Amino acid sequence: MTDHKAILAERYLGGLNRRDLMKGLAAGGVVLAAGGLSRPAQAAGNEIKLAWVDHIDTLDPHFTGFLGAVKVHNNIYNGLLKVTYDGQKVAFVPDLAETWDITDGVIHTFKLRPNVKFHDGTPCDAEAVKWNVERVWKGEPKSPHAWKFKSLEKVEVVDPLTVKLTFKQPYAFLPVALTGSTGRAGTIVSPAAVQKFGASFGRNPVGTGPFKFVSWKENDSIVLEKNPDYFEAGLPKLDKVTILIMKEASSAIAAVMSGQVDGMSDSPVQFIPQLKANPNLQVFGEIEGNYVYIAMNCRKAPFDDINLRRAVAFALNREQIIKQAFFGQGIPAYTPISPPMTDFYDPNVAKTGRGQRFDLAKAKEFRAKAKVQDVIEPKFMVTEEGTYGSRLAQTVLPMLAEIGIKPKLELVERAAWVSRRNAGDFEMLDFNWWADLDPDETLFPEFHTGAAWNYPGWSNKRFDECVEQAQVSLDVPTRKALYTEASDIIMDEAPIAITSHMPVFKIFAKKVQGFKYIPVDSLNLHTVTVS
Amino acid sequence: MAWFVSKKILQTLLVLLIVSIASFSLLKFAPGDPVQLMLGSEYSAEAHASLVKQLGLDRPIAEQYVRWLAGFLSGDWGTSFVSKAPIFRYAFLEALPVTLTLAASALGLAIVIGVPLGVLSATRKDTGWDAAVATLTLTGTSFPSFYLGILLIWLFGVQLGWFPTLGFVAPWDDLWGGIVHMTLPAITLSTYFLAMIVRLTRANLIEQLEQPYVAAARARGEPRWRVVWVHGLRNVMLPLVTILGLQLGALLQGAVLTETVFSLPGVGQMMTSAVLNREYGVVQAGVMMTACLFVLTNLLVDLAYPFLDPRLRPR
Repeated sequence: MTDHKAILAERYLGGLNRRDLMKGLAAGGVVLAAGGLSRPAQAAGNEIKLAWVDHIDTLDPHFTGFLGAVKVHNNIYNGLLKVTYDGQKVAFVPDLAETWDITDGVIHTFKLRPNVKFHDGTPCDAEAVKWNVERVWKGEPKSPHAWKFKSLEKVEVVDPLTVKLTFKQPYAFLPVALTGSTGRAGTIVSPAAVQKFGASFGRNPVGTGPFKFVSWKENDSIVLEKNPDYFEAGLPKLDKVTILIMKEASSAIAAVMSGQVDGMSDSPVQFIPQLKANPNLQVFGEIEGNYVYIAMNCRKAPFDDINLRRAVAFALNREQIIKQAFFGQGIPAYTPISPPMTDFYDPNVAKTGRGQRFDLAKAKEFRAKAKVQDVIEPKFMVTEEGTYGSRLAQTVLPMLAEIGIKPKLELVERAAWVSRRNAGDFEMLDFNWWADLDPDETLFPEFHTGAAWNYPGWSNKRFDECVEQAQVSLDVPTRKALYTEASDIIMDEAPIAITSHMPVFKIFAKKVQGFKYIPVDSLNLHTVTVS
Repeated sequence: MAWFVSKKILQTLLVLLIVSIASFSLLKFAPGDPVQLMLGSEYSAEAHASLVKQLGLDRPIAEQYVRWLAGFLSGDWGTSFVSKAPIFRYAFLEALPVTLTLAASALGLAIVIGVPLGVLSATRKDTGWDAAVATLTLTGTSFPSFYLGILLIWLFGVQLGWFPTLGFVAPWDDLWGGIVHMTLPAITLSTYFLAMIVRLTRANLIEQLEQPYVAAARARGEPRWRVVWVHGLRNVMLPLVTILGLQLGALLQGAVLTETVFSLPGVGQMMTSAVLNREYGVVQAGVMMTACLFVLTNLLVDLAYPFLDPRLRPR
């Protein structure tokens, strides 16, 4: 780890020489060290060191399932499109493409930037793009993102710099499929490198992005360096990026507060007030496209009873949950449609009476209609993981007790929790979806009958119709009406009790400048400098 | 001697075989599926099936074990599902040296500080010195290493800025960097052993100092330091070495927490993430390495007896 050496070298120069330090150590350690080591360690020159507290599974964007990894991908790769944010609204603009045209709603033509090369020197042309689309669409082994291209009919190379994607029907979700969601189906990787590295491409990524991959040391660090041939003139500004993989968030907090690292990829909510109060740090974070919820298993008793589920949905005091479980971070959610989906989110939803909200009288009314009138003790499966662990479950217990539901918390280790969640082997659990930009990804894969992430096992015919129609319509008002109806149905039938939309944080030292915040949990370092 | 050693080694191999079968099957029978974890939020039945096949997890458990064992014995420890890196490099060449450095530093620190403190306590029995040492070491032990680590990070890393609080620097690449980075983790991990060593040294030394040979040495006019440090302490070494050998397991357990708090890429962190991700191959490698380490240490302890106590030498 040469960066550690650099820090220490810097400390030497500013402090005592080696012999003095050794003498000091011999004389009793820390006393002398106080003089020699008191300057905080900082990355030398034009480089940044970041503590990464979220999981990085692979640097192959077509196979990832984790946002912690996607945040890194954005710095190594480019996509056909990219997400931008003006402080009000997110937009999708061409990235590797120069232009993006849609014909008849089904043909998407991308004209690529000329002379773009992958880090391995091979050209990023229409052939490479076609190869990438096919890799995600129907490659073997199967990409977990293949569903994003399920309505693709063909992909063609028109000329060396033009590629044409033809879909069977209009596909409103395409821009998000290409850029967002967990993993980016439209991210372009080097075909030559995939052929060269095979299954270990995810540990040897080659893209076109502002930073080139240097190394990945397990449980330790990932190092990236500047790509001098990057196509956006003048970018990137940094020469080197060191990502320190840190499992223990409080250690990362200590490192960022003491200046040993220049930033953090995320932070658990309980540390935010402390970080915001620190004069050396800046905290970025807005409400993003996400929602936290408690799922109730609709397949079996007791929550096959719609009135019981409704009672739960109205019994949760969202303000109190946010205060107690999330340390004041977050806003109440009324429907799964979240604020960054500006075309679909209703900023006045609180006043409309739509969706779920805290109303104890109503909760009791529904509870009175439930099949079982005695006290119910469902099992609430929790795992100590994520940004709030079992806190949400603990917070809602007294609220549910008010309506004669006394869940028994069942603490389960993560692997078992995931297996049981996927198999539908639970009564209640809490979960969350992050970084969504379009209602399609918020509603379709989560709640369509039989969909992959429909953990509560809920099914509603009209809901299915709405989300299916909205998927093939390109007209925003039509889609908005359909998603409003769909989200009203789901909130009414309450396979989930929705609690909140959460801010997602990025923490930087004050000397880090030029970071452009985008509310999809991204951490793009293209324009970042360290002064 | 040769018979003694080879018998020990045979025993060891048997132990390792049992350990490997136990850990392999325990993990296999534990609920949880590595593939579902690897796919994260992008789980789908097709992707799951494809990955299961690719990783060879669709074969019978016995076959998976035999494949693993054959590979392991022939030096091919397999490839990590997650990192796609050869497990041998990851576990043996990268993670093990970190943990060994940490454990050795902690143990070294505990001995260098603990033995003199124990001697101080024993020779100044029931004085203020004795009480002060007892208070100090018991306070250290009472802190769970996890919490103590965070406290040390807060005080020496954040408030005072004296020490780096994360990462590993190999002392063989950069001696001073290695020492500075290892100081806080070593202190954290050493506290438990420090108290144990102090108390063990104290109790045994008090006992030894009442033996007739000590009185005889004094009667010969030997200086007091020689009586304590040479005659007395030599007899304390035997129980001390035995206990330390047996406590290696506790040391490795402590290393898991210490490595997590200080972000050290050692065996502890490797094992925790491998167990959580159901990475069978990596867990096996970790178990085998720690089991070997444990057995090897105890073998060394056994072999050390004759050197420490001439009465135990074969005639």
